[in-house]
Amino acid sequence: MHPGLFPFVLRRAGAALMLVLVVSSSVLVLAHVAPPADAFGTDPRVLAAERHRLGLDRPLPQQYAAWLARAVRLDLGESLHFHRPVSGLIRERAGRTLLLGLSALALATALGVPAGILTGSRRGGALAGATRGTSVVLLSAPPLIMSLVVLLIAARTGWLPAGGVPDTAAGAGWGAALAATARYLILPTLALGLPVAATIERLQSASIRAALDEPCMAAARARGVPLQRIVWRHALRLSLGPVLAVYGIIIGSVLSGSFAVEVVLSWSGLGQLMYQALQARDLYLAAGCAAAGAVCLALGIFITDVAAVLVDPRIAGAS
Amino acid sequence: MARTTRILIGLVAVAAIAGLLFVALRSPGRQRPVAVGVSVRPARGGALTASLRSEPGTYNRYVEQSAAAELLSLLTQAPLVRVDPTTDHLEPWLAESWTRSDDGLTYTMHLRHGVTFSDGSPFSSADVLFSFAALYDPRVNAVLAPDTYAGGRPLTVEAPDPATVVLHLAAPAAAGLRLIDGVPMLPKHRLEKALAQGKFRAAWSAATPLQDIAGLGPFVLTEHLPGQRLVFSRNPHYWRHDAAGTALPYLDRLTVEVVSDQNTEALRMQQGQIDLMANGEIRPEDFVAFRRLAAQGALRLIDAGVGLDPNLLWFNLSPAGSADPRNPWLRSRSFRQGLSCAIDRDALANAVYLGAAVPIYSPITPGNTKWYAPVRPACDHDLLKARDLLSAAGLSDRNGDGQLEDAAGVPARFSIVTQQGHTIRQRTASVLQEQLRQIGITVDIAGLDPGALFDRWSRGDYDAIYFGVQSSATDPALNPQFWLSSGNFHFWNPRQPSPSTEWEKQIDDLFTRQARSLDLAERQQLVTEAQTVLVTELPAIYFVAPQVTLVTSTRVANARPAPQIPQLLWSADTLADASAR
Amino acid sequence: MTSGRLLGAIAAAGLLLAAVVGGAVPPHAPGRQFADFSYAPPMWPHVRDAAGHWRRPFVYPLRLVNRLERTFQEDRAHPVTLRWMSDGALLSGDGPGGPWLALGGDALGRDILARLLAGARLSLAVSLVAAAGALLFGAVLGAVAGFTAGRLDGLIMRTADFVLVLPAIYVVIVLRAAMPLVLSTTQVFWTLAGVLALAGWPQPARGVRAIVRLERRREYAEAALALGAGPARILLRHLLPATRGFLAVQLTLLLPAFILAEATLSFVGFGFAEPTPSWGVMLQDAAQAGVLAETPWLAAPAAAIALSVLALHLLVQNSPAAGPSTVLDSKVNQIS
Repeated sequence: MHPGLFPFVLRRAGAALMLVLVVSSSVLVLAHVAPPADAFGTDPRVLAAERHRLGLDRPLPQQYAAWLARAVRLDLGESLHFHRPVSGLIRERAGRTLLLGLSALALATALGVPAGILTGSRRGGALAGATRGTSVVLLSAPPLIMSLVVLLIAARTGWLPAGGVPDTAAGAGWGAALAATARYLILPTLALGLPVAATIERLQSASIRAALDEPCMAAARARGVPLQRIVWRHALRLSLGPVLAVYGIIIGSVLSGSFAVEVVLSWSGLGQLMYQALQARDLYLAAGCAAAGAVCLALGIFITDVAAVLVDPRIAGAS
Repeated sequence: MARTTRILIGLVAVAAIAGLLFVALRSPGRQRPVAVGVSVRPARGGALTASLRSEPGTYNRYVEQSAAAELLSLLTQAPLVRVDPTTDHLEPWLAESWTRSDDGLTYTMHLRHGVTFSDGSPFSSADVLFSFAALYDPRVNAVLAPDTYAGGRPLTVEAPDPATVVLHLAAPAAAGLRLIDGVPMLPKHRLEKALAQGKFRAAWSAATPLQDIAGLGPFVLTEHLPGQRLVFSRNPHYWRHDAAGTALPYLDRLTVEVVSDQNTEALRMQQGQIDLMANGEIRPEDFVAFRRLAAQGALRLIDAGVGLDPNLLWFNLSPAGSADPRNPWLRSRSFRQGLSCAIDRDALANAVYLGAAVPIYSPITPGNTKWYAPVRPACDHDLLKARDLLSAAGLSDRNGDGQLEDAAGVPARFSIVTQQGHTIRQRTASVLQEQLRQIGITVDIAGLDPGALFDRWSRGDYDAIYFGVQSSATDPALNPQFWLSSGNFHFWNPRQPSPSTEWEKQIDDLFTRQARSLDLAERQQLVTEAQTVLVTELPAIYFVAPQVTLVTSTRVANARPAPQIPQLLWSADTLADASAR
Repeated sequence: MTSGRLLGAIAAAGLLLAAVVGGAVPPHAPGRQFADFSYAPPMWPHVRDAAGHWRRPFVYPLRLVNRLERTFQEDRAHPVTLRWMSDGALLSGDGPGGPWLALGGDALGRDILARLLAGARLSLAVSLVAAAGALLFGAVLGAVAGFTAGRLDGLIMRTADFVLVLPAIYVVIVLRAAMPLVLSTTQVFWTLAGVLALAGWPQPARGVRAIVRLERRREYAEAALALGAGPARILLRHLLPATRGFLAVQLTLLLPAFILAEATLSFVGFGFAEPTPSWGVMLQDAAQAGVLAETPWLAAPAAAIALSVLALHLLVQNSPAAGPSTVLDSKVNQIS
């Protein structure tokens, strides 16, 4: 193991924690500033009592300190809108977003990296050209558009459920539940994953090309080593570093894109919950969602950072 | 970029677009028809799944006013008497029979024998006394309490023996025992302590273990996964039997899925994941899709008649509104009359409801057959007359630009606040905007979520609001909050200490007289008179009432559709599963 | 200029033209409702009639068959020839049988094409203003960071990195939610532009900082400093002009991201609201599976968004000032 790895990991973990803290706090503060919205027909006195019980009528610094103290113990308060503990709501929804995000990321990587190697190492050729073309088109169809496209296809053909979450009714076996989940997951995964796959393809392609342009590669080619072998043996390893380095940002964009997909395809996950929370001015829920999202993001960035160092230990010293 | 690449990019783009067009223009695919099991007589057993768009925040019906709380109460609890919404008749329920004193001030009710709560303990008049004590306890501040008042005062209740209950009214009430339809009877032995300690409001909160809850309804709540579903199982102690002597309910289990999004709900209905919707009304734009599935035998469509709770456009006539120096014409009667007259209600029904709606002019729709009267304003969709009325309000086109101006030459312009995300209301507002533009009035539309809308309304900070509220009562006497100038839902100027206008005083009088009368023909006459005053003054303008179409899966048997919410689940104990044997 | 960029430039110019001219001379007013044309299908121009004769471009007017089932029939007996510059529109095909709705009608029978054009105008205007704001904000902060170095530089760049890594749409939504929900269309316009600018500044700031740092060490800057020029003067006169090319590229990168962000926000109800013709608002109708299956033309704004984004992408592809990595970095952080 590289000697600089441990302090590096510590530093990165610190940064990740910081990210979570700053994000959730700023959402709490912003949601506090936002004008309130009350339920139609609710007796104002009842509502005031409810707000008092939840501690929503105290001044911001006090409220913030109390929230933070509880958040450390994973108690995120109670949702004003759903009348339920925030942590329970988040556990249930974050699972769905995580499932969608991970499957989209897996799809994007599985499609994007090989496609990028193909287009990066071969300038001409029909296959590379077609891949590149697909990629440019997909880049222009971000998740909002892609989810409408898959919704249209699903609604017209009836092949797959047009949105919604799997109905995991009681009594169904593991196999059936898995199959149902897979059926419902396909469309959102395509909608979210394909544009990201295009991004990764472009990155991988540029990276491979840059790697091939390095003097050592040129020298190897001059020595008569076949291109295929250079690409797969040497350039690939060299090119993965830069691609891995932006995975943190890619995870952010997957989370971003997941919002539109969740709304259009009714995949009730964290994004939809956050949106509902903000619309209802549900302070603790919004902050909780932000915290959960930030944890996912920070964790993703942290893992890719460490992975990037494992691939290329020089990074640890540099940052 | 290489030339081939560019060509290929072009080709890919063209292929992608062509593929999409192909999919878009190809006729929609066929869904697999579902096997239909038809049973002539409802069989006991089986299970159905319903959907609900919200979730109860508590299991205590007395403190929560919401569709979810009402449904929960319908399924797990029972009132003394019940109104059958399909016939509008008052039926004996926990009370087997009753007599009314000649002055109409006393009702003596005889409770059904052998009724037990779902936990097995017997139901008696002590539970009734307890329920009313909780209902009127000031610390409870029960949401249901004001609707039960007669002559503005709570009822008083006595129990001479365990099977008899005597109700005393402060004044004769036309609605009679309908006043207490919807007040479920609660188990004294479970809640007595909470009431005594002043903790009744918090009792039976959503955190309560489900086995601590007992009721008299057809089902018991056996599982609640917040945000996902409520599972109701047969109450083995339920007291009702069908004509053949079979113990009700027919269903072993009723699952209520919480589906907050309307699109998702429609999708799940189409995919056969749910059998019925608690609010079963389908949107006009979904009609085609449901129609096709119904033609394939996968679903069943039910015409439930004209809806009872129309949306309304009301103007701000509150003191806060009158203090606003802008637009004095907004508070003039002839302006409102002109506006109502300028609107083409048929066109509105066509545009917003795709024709599945009827024009209306007053709050009581043709769906409410017992109380409907064809009252109309003096003028209906006549642009010439509308212009006259508007110019009587001081608005006329003074500079020939087609836009109406007031006396100071300021163009006529006002805003309509409506509910954001409620497509029907938003589209109606758009149609009103467009129709009024043609007569020279500019309308701005502000879409608000219900909370913000409520806030604006209660502060009196608006010009006009297009909105609607649901109520399950058909009898106008049960809707004093709307009719009386002191009412909370006297939308245009709520909670007036005393009637601020002559016509509101007149309506108050008519309403109070009918609420005290016990003669139906006289009451109908008085209600019609009150409606006539309303459509002359037009503080609120009514445009259309929708034709309600319900949808169920083919598994739902023995449904008795009603026009009001919950259209099918109101009779959950007699709903049956067609696939059960 | 490669032909890919040329294509992009032409498409982008077309978009701009559509927004400016199309918005000024619409086929119909975007708010006008044709009651009998709710969910009417697109009316494609024909050049060959039913009898097989070639004619000047014409359309068949539509006749409503069943309103609730949304079925229409082409009136083959009365074709309407398209006319240039008449009825106050560039191209008009309105006839006695009803209006010509080239891309069909929406839920209220409004002309989707007219709304699309009006939406293009709104969408582009918001994005342009927001992009200008983001560039200005980013350039100033980047220049300050690059010029001063030290602690201020660290602070600005840390903040930029932080904003960059956040999922942008959430930043925008949270910021928007902190404002009052009810705003007039003009207020929404400026709020959106401001919020988007706040989310979009880090990328330009990073680039400008890098360029300024590089240029500052060059001889001409050193010389100017030696001659006694103030830091502000050096920044404005000498260093910032060097970033012009970079900023131009950033503009084309921010625009598509902002077009999308505006659509997403309006789509979920945090941006423009019905009846304002914005692409996001129009997509609300299209996002219902049951409706979309029967009336796919409601998704026309999605196609418009995709084409605009594609045009701007092609425009910036392989641009000498951009370099592959800039395009990608920014691409990755796209707001969607």
